[in-house]
Order: sequence, then structure tokens, then C-alpha cells
Amino acid sequence: MPKRIIGPIILAMTLILGGCSLPGLGGASGDSVRIGTLTTSESQTMGHMIRLLIEHYTDLDVEMVNNLGTAIVQHQAMLEDQVDITSTRYTGTDLAGALGMDPVKDPDEAMNIIQTEFTKRFDQTWFDSYGFENSYAFTVTKEFAEEHQLEKVSDLEALAGDIRFGVDNSWIQREGDGYAGFIDVYGFEFPKIYPMQIGLVYQALANDEMDVVLAYTSDGRIAADDLQILEDDRQFFPPYDTSLVATNEILEKHPELESILQKLSNTIDTEEMQQLNYEADGKLQEPASIARNFLEEHHYFEEAK
Amino acid sequence: MQLIQDLLVYYADNASYVWEQFYRQFLMSAYGVLFGAIVGIPLGILIARYHKLSPWVLSLANVIQTIPALAMLSVLMLVMGLGANTVVFSLFLYSLLPIIKNTYTGINNVDHALLESGKAMGMTKFQVLRMVELPLALSVIMAGLRTAVVVTIGVATIGTFIGAGGLGDIIIRGTNATDGTAIILAGAIPTALMAIIADALFGWLERKLAPGKKKKGIFSRDEVTV
Repeated sequence: MPKRIIGPIILAMTLILGGCSLPGLGGASGDSVRIGTLTTSESQTMGHMIRLLIEHYTDLDVEMVNNLGTAIVQHQAMLEDQVDITSTRYTGTDLAGALGMDPVKDPDEAMNIIQTEFTKRFDQTWFDSYGFENSYAFTVTKEFAEEHQLEKVSDLEALAGDIRFGVDNSWIQREGDGYAGFIDVYGFEFPKIYPMQIGLVYQALANDEMDVVLAYTSDGRIAADDLQILEDDRQFFPPYDTSLVATNEILEKHPELESILQKLSNTIDTEEMQQLNYEADGKLQEPASIARNFLEEHHYFEEAK
Repeated sequence: MQLIQDLLVYYADNASYVWEQFYRQFLMSAYGVLFGAIVGIPLGILIARYHKLSPWVLSLANVIQTIPALAMLSVLMLVMGLGANTVVFSLFLYSLLPIIKNTYTGINNVDHALLESGKAMGMTKFQVLRMVELPLALSVIMAGLRTAVVVTIGVATIGTFIGAGGLGDIIIRGTNATDGTAIILAGAIPTALMAIIADALFGWLERKLAPGKKKKGIFSRDEVTV
């Protein structure tokens, strides 16, 4: 019977392929570190920075696992030992997603809770923030801001009846930090609200089809189109500080990693990340070369090993 | 023309990166077909010997072939996890059918008279296989490998979704960028080129190995039908 033949063969192949790595393809060899990233340019740029630093300061092999779908997929991949490090994790997202807790408005408190809980529940180290966050932000053109003297979100109240407001589809229904929550906290509504795909809001603002849009703060197009972010003066949005997360297993196995990874903490502010993102999304540079240029410019490779 | 310029700039800036991904994708396909050949060719010979087995094996390989690539990768990912090994294994599965089928056909189509004369010369079964059947079937087997290589190069592109890298990484990057057409092409063109070159190369091998063209060829070409 063919099943008798094929069964063991397939089983053997699975064992062989699952257990070791093929020459040239990397894989689960003992001395490698696996970095998981999202599909976004931001995530991949940070992932490559981590890779380059590890490759520079240690002899470890680094393998990139790109294009993981969401923060939850990143989290699962780490729990199942598919990756050792994930490059971009956001406090607001993981508080709600991985930890299933209520949003915390104070950035330091949110960071504290997350760092403690991740160590306790998942045996993972949540590093200090890179220094930038990727949040929702009310965004207008510079001219519009000057004309109406806008600085903070509450300044919009007087204009709210007349202006056109473009938001991403999901925000209207989002619980907690969505539109309903916004009305509760700020106490006014936008009668002319237009839901659309998030990528379109920048274009809509630039083409004067919208007056105010809800953008992602670290998107490069905010810098490229010379847009103005309004300060969220009532701290409505939870903080989305960005960090890398590593399993304690890999940190214990290679103790030198911890100090290397800490080099990236508090080094990139949101404006700088916007620039880096724009180089990827607008100028079509590869995240890998953006990462290398950034590290070279900031003298990361000049320290002795 | 802006597009072509963007494309050239991209290649100039990222030549080594593109080459790295190209090589990676090539390796994944090559390993897949290699394992496919290691398993498929003996299996094809076996079912040519024992005809009763052939419907079982061939229909099983057929079923594997009908599974959509993304579904196959997702299911294998659940068992084997993320990374290149999972992609190689799925490429192995996809290359089985063409290799088994062509080996089977090639061996079956060897003229009986030749087998008989081999036997009459006192050859053992293994000698008949090695000196008569395999040389005559080789070009047909090659055609199977050729199909397998082209299929796997295409499927390997999707490996990016389970973190295996390859040229698919570049294509996905292009879909995320504003006006990323140049990047999409930068990943898609080498993929297509790889498939075309592999196809041409194997086509050339296939013709080279066709028994009718052999210098010492004692058999005429029309004895082999594909």
C-alpha cells in the first residue's frame, strides 16, 4: 500500500526539516537570534537596526521574520518560540491586546504596568521606549492652523460645526479611544465626519478635501506634506509608546544582548521616526539601508566591540 | 519613464539586498525540487514496476497539487512554524506530482523490445534499469523537474507571509509604500526572470539528454514519447 511508503517518508522529511536548518537558509540553529517585524516600514526599520547592532557587537546570526500580521501575531510568535525579539510593540495596543487590561492614560504608568506584567505573565522583557510613539493625532495643514490659531484639540470646538473631518473607518466604532469616547472627553461633535481608509487621509488633507484628519503620528507623510499635529490636551488617546520586546530566554542565553538592545532606548523621537518612515514610504528606500544609515550617522558602530 | 528611473535607482541602491533575496528564493525552490526528486524519482520507478500502486500514488500527488498555495503554507505553518523550512517542505510537496508522473511515464514508455533484448543479454533487473530504462527516460524525467522548478519558484514568493523572506518581501514592501509600483516591479521582475531562466536551462538539459541526440545513441528518437 502506498500509504505505508509515503507516510514514513513525509514524517521523516518533517522531522529533518523541522529539526535543523538547510545550508544557506539560516533557520533554528543554536546561535541565531530571530527578529519578528510587522509589515509596516517602521517595524522593519527598527528590526533592521536591532539586527545590525547585534551583528556588529556579537558573532550571533540574526534572522529576520518579516511581515507578521498584527501585534497579536507578534505576541503569539514569541509565546510559541518562533521569534526571540519583536521590533515594535505599542503600549496602548498591548495593554488592551496581549494583557487584556483597561487603557491607562499616563505614559509612565502604562509602561510600568506593561513591563511588570510581561515579565510576570510571559517571562519577556519589555524594553524602555525607543522615544517615539505611533498614536492617533488630529492633524491639519500649517496654513489652516495659522489661519484659525489652532494648537490643541480643544481649539477645534469653536470650528467643529463647519469643518470637514476625515477619519479612518475603524475609529468611529472603536471602544474606549474611538469617536464616542472622544465626544465624552472633549464634549463636542463633528457634524461633517467622513470615514475613509487611513492611507487616504493625508492626500485628502493636502488636496483641501478635508480640513482636519485623524492621522497616525509616526507616519512620514505628516512631515512630507508639512502638516501640523494638534496637541491632545485632555490626554484622550492612551499612550502608544514604542519598544522592542525580547524573551528572557534569549537574554539569559546571550547576556550581552541586553546592553546592546538598550542602546536603542530613548534615541529616536517621533519627528525623527516620521523622517525615517518617509524615506521608506515616500522615497522608496529599503528599511535595511535606512537603518544602516541612521546607525552610521549616529555613530553606533564606532564604539569598540 | 519615472517608473523605470525609480526602478533603476532602487536596483542601484539595493543591489546586494535584491541579490540576497533572489538567492534565498532560489535556494528555497532548489531545495524543494531536490527533495522532491530524491523522493519522487524512486517513487515513480516503483509505481512503474508495480502498476497497482500507481493510481494511489498519482491521485495522492494530484490531491496535493490542488491545494492552494496559501492554504498549504498556513496549514504547514501550524505544524512546522514560521520560516524557510516550512516553505521548503511545501515546495517539496508541490514538486512531487510532476516528478513522479514524468518518471512513471518515462519508464513506462520505454520500448518493450529494448527491455527484452536487455534481459536476453543477461542483464540483471538493476542493470536494465540503469543502462536501458533510466537513460531513455531521462529527458522525460528532466521535463518533470523543469515543471517542478517553475512551479516552486512561483510559490516560493508567497513564503514572505510566513516570514521566510525571498523576493516576496520586496513585493510586499512595495504595496505598503506610497506609489510603490517601482518596488513591486523590483521584486516581481527577478521572480519572473528566475522562472524563465530555470525553464530555459532545464529545457536545454532536456534536449541535451534526449536519447536521439546522444553521440553514441543506438536508439532512435521516436521511441520516446512524452
